[in-house]
Amino acid sequence: MTPTPIRLTLADLEACFEGVIPSIISTADADGLPNISYLSHVALVDDRHVALSNQFFAKTAANIRLNPHAMLLLVDARNSAQYRLELVFAHTLEAGSLFEHVALQIDASSAQVGMAGIMKLRNLDVFRVVSIEAIPSQVLTAELPQSKRNRLIGAARIAEAIAAETDADGIIDAMLEGLRTEFGFEHGLLLQLYEERNQLITIGSMGYVPSGIGSDIPVDEGVIGAAAAGGRLVKLSDMSRIRRFGAAVRGSSADENRTRAIPLPGMADAMSQIAVPLVAAGSVRGVLFLESRDRIAFTSDDEAALSMIARQAAMALALSEKLSLETEPQRSVPAHPATSEKTVQVVHHRFDDSVFIDGDYVIKGVAGRLLASMLEQHQQSGRLEFTNREIRLDAALKLPDFKDNLETRLLLLRRRLEEKRLPIRLTRLGRGRIGLLIEGRLRLSKDVV
Amino acid sequence: MFGDEIAGFIESPVMQIIGSSNAARRPEIGRAMGAWISTGSDTIDLVTSAWQWPETVANLRENGRIAVTFARPSDYVSYQLKGQATIRPAEPGEVERSSQYIVAIVSTQMRLGMLPELIMPVLSNRDPMLITMCVASVFVQTPGSRAGERIWSTTP
Repeated sequence: MTPTPIRLTLADLEACFEGVIPSIISTADADGLPNISYLSHVALVDDRHVALSNQFFAKTAANIRLNPHAMLLLVDARNSAQYRLELVFAHTLEAGSLFEHVALQIDASSAQVGMAGIMKLRNLDVFRVVSIEAIPSQVLTAELPQSKRNRLIGAARIAEAIAAETDADGIIDAMLEGLRTEFGFEHGLLLQLYEERNQLITIGSMGYVPSGIGSDIPVDEGVIGAAAAGGRLVKLSDMSRIRRFGAAVRGSSADENRTRAIPLPGMADAMSQIAVPLVAAGSVRGVLFLESRDRIAFTSDDEAALSMIARQAAMALALSEKLSLETEPQRSVPAHPATSEKTVQVVHHRFDDSVFIDGDYVIKGVAGRLLASMLEQHQQSGRLEFTNREIRLDAALKLPDFKDNLETRLLLLRRRLEEKRLPIRLTRLGRGRIGLLIEGRLRLSKDVV
Repeated sequence: MFGDEIAGFIESPVMQIIGSSNAARRPEIGRAMGAWISTGSDTIDLVTSAWQWPETVANLRENGRIAVTFARPSDYVSYQLKGQATIRPAEPGEVERSSQYIVAIVSTQMRLGMLPELIMPVLSNRDPMLITMCVASVFVQTPGSRAGERIWSTTP
């Protein structure tokens, strides 16, 4: 009747550490009086140790100092198989990389269940694992899905595609397309961090209609903000029980025109989310965000692969920014005489640099200011070509808070104009050179409210 | 004994986990499958599976030291009861009551969006044993500032 024991290792229990199904810990005091409680987070330290977050269970913390033996019950998030782990208390962590990783996960997941701040991590107790045993189940636990395609090979292919690109457009497309074809992820965003406004702005989008290009969120908001603020990956693996605040608001154009804000796209019924910081030269440049309707869609292999890809993209984007200031030799650009006699009405609101074309909200902030500036120069001198170098100089003169990321701001502007199918478009004329297309006669007015 | 509120809570569809320890003070974990206030007595009865949790059954036979935490899946409201227990094989009526609990807890978890195939593997009352527990104290265990607070005790 007893099944042949299989020697289990902590690596076999990966899906028990997703924080999806609560774990249980039992301890006993010096007299052997037991104490039992649920635990919010159990983290894998190495192949012989686990770390438990113990935010408010003072009794458990006291017991293990009097009697270091503990019993832990873990549940596999994929099939609810139960495991019984005999532990011995080793030491406590109050800082360091693992501590910070767990603290960030706790902040992100507790904020989403309406317990922000309550679950503040104070310390992590590290235990040595003495034995692992599977608990029998009366019903067959579901068969585990087959392991995914080799993530290392996939990551190498995506890195190769990113490295072959020369500009921000190509880099972002190569990354998102690679994540779709190599990894099978279908919904994702790339957000750039604009430090001067403490904002993340969507510059790449996959799988969403509308794309949400140009939407922004404050640093610190949700899993994306947490990944940017902490500079660490944040993951949620089962959102089925997460209380949803502010249910998905699907913004229509009419709303955009009124609020002057582009809604961040999102899946109303996402079960898994992952936010991976883009880090280069020691600083966070943005966040890669992916979501899925599957539970536990992102494994620890995915975490490793996505971290590598995000860093590769961050470096490539930073380099393309620098290279974009070197202008390629001029190409012959066919003149674009106004193809239409229609008037294109553009309004630039100075107070927030928002730009409206024929009554449709386009963008605000620095990108809005850049567009207004190009249109102004066109109105004055008929110019239809600009270089990154001169736009950057112009921006630096007129925008005291302008730092960098010109290339990605122009990209966001270009994609936004395309998505809105507006009669004004930007085109790339080669590295560091931008073309302005206006289908009609421009009438630019400034509202100096 | 403790008030009606706690009594009602432990009889409602909440998750039930059992802590015990052996002679060497090694702690153990088990699950209970149904709990109720014993008829005409100031103890509570709980059913557990000797098949899934043989160590828990052995510990309770040996020394009776027990801690049970009841946790409501919808809002994490939790109470821990500590005391002394005796254990014996469950009788048919008790097994029936335990099976009713299993139906109720599966329904509760399904309403919270959990898939039945992920709820069932942790639930079992195979080789059912009846634990009769004399409660000495009750503690709040809901995550938050009151966690660990003793709200009822037989001793001052």
